[in-house]
Amino acid sequence: MLTIEDLAKYPFLRKASSFVESYGLTFQDLASDEYDYVVQRAVERVRRGIEGRWAELNVVDPETEILAYPLALAFVYGLRSGWVVRRFANSEQKRCFELLKSEEKEKIAEVGKDGFDWDLEGTELMVSGALFDFSLPVENYLEVAPSFHSPDWKLVNRHVIGGRVYLKQVEVARLLSEALKLKILRKVEEEDIKKFQIPEKLLSKLEGLEKLMKETKKYDEDVMAEFVEEAKPPCIVALLKDLAAGKSLSHMARFAVTTFLINIGESVENVLKYFTSVADFDEGKARYQVEHIAGLIGSKTKYLPPKCDVLRSFGLCVGEDAYCKRVRHPLQYYKMKAREIKRKRDGRRSE
Amino acid sequence: MGEGVNKEVVKAFKEYYQTLDVNELVVKDLQEREIALIPLGQETMIRHMTFPDTVALKEYLENHIPAHLYYSSAYYREPQASDMNKKGWKGADLIFDVDADHIPTPCKADHDTWTCLECMMKGTGFPPESCPKCGMKRIETTTWVCDRCLEVAKEEVFKLIDEYLIPDFGVSLKEVEVCFSGHRGYHLHVQTDDVKRLTSDGRREIADYVRGVGLDPKHQGFRMMKDGSITGPDLRDGGWRGRFAKSVYAYLSRCTMEELRSVVGSDEVANIIMRNKDRLLRGIMANPPSWMGLRGVELGRTIRIAKAAVKDLLCNIDERVTIDVKRLIRYPNSLHGKSGLKAARISYSDLETFDPLKDAVVFKSGSIKVYVKEAPRVRIGDYEVGPVKNVQLEVPGGLGIYLLCKGAAELRE
Ligand code: SF4
Ligand SMILES: [Zn+2]
Ligand SMILES: [Zn+2]
Repeated sequence: MLTIEDLAKYPFLRKASSFVESYGLTFQDLASDEYDYVVQRAVERVRRGIEGRWAELNVVDPETEILAYPLALAFVYGLRSGWVVRRFANSEQKRCFELLKSEEKEKIAEVGKDGFDWDLEGTELMVSGALFDFSLPVENYLEVAPSFHSPDWKLVNRHVIGGRVYLKQVEVARLLSEALKLKILRKVEEEDIKKFQIPEKLLSKLEGLEKLMKETKKYDEDVMAEFVEEAKPPCIVALLKDLAAGKSLSHMARFAVTTFLINIGESVENVLKYFTSVADFDEGKARYQVEHIAGLIGSKTKYLPPKCDVLRSFGLCVGEDAYCKRVRHPLQYYKMKAREIKRKRDGRRSE
Repeated sequence: MGEGVNKEVVKAFKEYYQTLDVNELVVKDLQEREIALIPLGQETMIRHMTFPDTVALKEYLENHIPAHLYYSSAYYREPQASDMNKKGWKGADLIFDVDADHIPTPCKADHDTWTCLECMMKGTGFPPESCPKCGMKRIETTTWVCDRCLEVAKEEVFKLIDEYLIPDFGVSLKEVEVCFSGHRGYHLHVQTDDVKRLTSDGRREIADYVRGVGLDPKHQGFRMMKDGSITGPDLRDGGWRGRFAKSVYAYLSRCTMEELRSVVGSDEVANIIMRNKDRLLRGIMANPPSWMGLRGVELGRTIRIAKAAVKDLLCNIDERVTIDVKRLIRYPNSLHGKSGLKAARISYSDLETFDPLKDAVVFKSGSIKVYVKEAPRVRIGDYEVGPVKNVQLEVPGGLGIYLLCKGAAELRE
C-alpha cells in the first residue's frame, strides 16, 4: 500500500495525481494567498532543478509536497525553455533514484506499476554468484535501457529468462528514475503542453526563477564560450595528435575533428591551423571544406560531429574513460567535463 | 525479359490466386496493415492499400496479379495514408529474417556466381565485400538455392525458436508464425501485445541478443575470484549464463588440441586444459559447478574459450529487418515472383519435415517446354536437372515456372 508519505516521495504517480484532482483546485485558487505555501514549494522545486540540485523531501507536510509537484511541472513547461525542462528532468531523476535505492521492495514494485505500468516482481534469485532482487518484462526494460550508454545495460549482457530481465534493486532504481526523466522530457512534445500558458496571476511568482534561469544558463554558455583544452574527449585528442604528427586522416576522421572544433566555438582560422602539418595540406581546399562544415558556405547548415556509436563503428573511439561511460556524443563529453573543470577552477558552484 | 513476364507465368499465377482459399490469406488485424504489391511484369510498387477483409483482398489480387505481395509488419490507424507520418503507427510485429543469402554455405561455390560491374571480374560462391581485383563494391550476384542452403536456413529458425524465443523470451509456440520466404529463407513473425510497442532501439537490443553482439562473458558469470582462480556460470542457470556453461562443456569435449591452441593462443595453456579435461568437465557438470579445472588459466583466455564455444549458437539473421518498425514483409501464402514458390506459412510441428522445394511448389500439373539459358543443378519436387546451358527442355510445370521466374529460361517456339 502506498501511503500519503509515499505519494510525497513519488508525486509523479497516478495515485498522486488523483489525490491532487480530489482537491479540485484551479490555477485561480492556487494564485490566492490561501495556497501560497504550495506555490512557494513549487517554485522552490523548479529553482532547485535549475540549480542542478534536488529539493530535499518534506515529509512533515506531504500534502503540500504532492500538490506542489504538478504546479512545478506547469512552471517548468510554461517557462518555454528546453534547457529548463532538461535541468528539471535531471534533478527529478536524481532525487527519485536516491529515494528508490533504499526503498522497500514492495513499494518499488508499486511505484513501477502505478507510475509506468511496469510489472516488477520481487524475487531472490541466486545464479552463479549473482543475486537478483527483481524481475521485469523484457519490453518494460527496453523502454529505457537502450538510452544508457554503457555495455552493462545491453540486453545481451543481462540475465534473461522467460521474457523477464533479472535485476538488482539499484538497477531497478536507475531504470525507474530514468523512465521518469524520459516522461518529463517527452511531455514537451504534447499538444496541450505546447499551448499551455502560465496564468497571469501566477506569473509574478516566477520572476525570481526567470532571473536565475538566465544567470545559470549564461554560466553554462560561458563554459562553452571559453575553450577548455583539457575537456576534449579522447577520440578528438587522438585525432589531433595524429594531425600534429603530420598523418593524413580518413574522411570520417577529418569530419569528426572539424565538426567538433567548430561546434565548441573554434574559428575557421584556428581549425585550419591544426591541419597545416599534414603532408598533403592544400589550404584552399581545406578552407573550403571547413567553411562548408561551419555552415558559412554551401548548404548553410552547421554540421554536428557524429555520435559515439558512429565513431566507434569507424574505429575512431579510442577510450572509454569515466566521462565516456556517461555520454553518447563527443560534444556532450566536452560540455560535461568543461563544466566540471570550470566549477573546480572558479571555486564556485551555481548555488 | 524481366521477371518471367510471359504467358505461362501469368497463367500460372492467375490460376493460383483464383483458386486460393481466402482463409489462406488471413493475417492478424488485416484492416490495420498497409498492403503493397508489384504487379506481374511491372517494376513499380503499388503502395498504401488497405482491405477490410480477405475476400476483398482476394478479389483485388485476381484482377491485379502480383509478382510480389507485401503487408506491413506495422499496425496503423490509417494504413492508406501515403505520408508515413500520417499513418498513425500503433505498433508492429517483431520480425526475424533468416536468409541463406547472408549465410556463407560451402555449396554456394556450386550454384552462385558474382560479377564486378566495374571491371567485369567474375567469381563463384559467396560474393566478396569488394572486388579483389579493382576494389570496387558494385558487385552483382546470381544466386540459387539448394537443399543444403535451405537446410542451414531452417536450422537457424529452429535455433532462434528453441534456443532464444521460447526459453529466454518466454514466447509460446502459438505466438510465433513461421513462413517460408518463397525463395532462400524464412521469416518469423512474433505477434504478441508485449512486442507490439517495442521501439526500434528496443528491437535492436533483441537482435543483438540473439546474434551475440556486444556479448561479454564477464557479465554472464565468468569472473576472477579473490584468490586468482576462475569461476564460471552454471548449466542450470538459463539465459546466456546457462548457454555459456553448456557450450563450453560441449566445446571442450569435442575440440581438438589444434583448435584449442589457436583459441587460447598458447601451447602451454592448451596443454594444461587438455590434461585437466576430465576433471574440468566433471566440475562444470557438478551442482554447484566448479571451474577449478581452469586453475592457472587467465580470465582473458577463459573468455576466448567461452566465445569460441558459443559461436555456433549465434543467430544468423538480417538485423535490419528486425530493427525496422515499418517494414513491408512478404504476405504469407503469396507467390514469390522470382521463384514461383509459395511463401507458405508453416506450423512449428511441420517445420522439421517441410521441404521448400517440394512443399512450396504450387504448380504440379502438366509440363512446359522451355529454353534454358543457364542453370546449375536444380531440383523442384522430385525432378532434377542441370547443370545445363542453352538447351530446349520439356520439364514438369513446377520446374518450368521456377526456371522462368528465376530468369534462367524463356519460352521459345
Ligand atoms: S566514447 Fe565517445 S567521446 Fe569517448 S572516446 Fe569514444 S567516441 Fe569519443
Ligand atoms: Zn572489379
Ligand atoms: Zn546451397
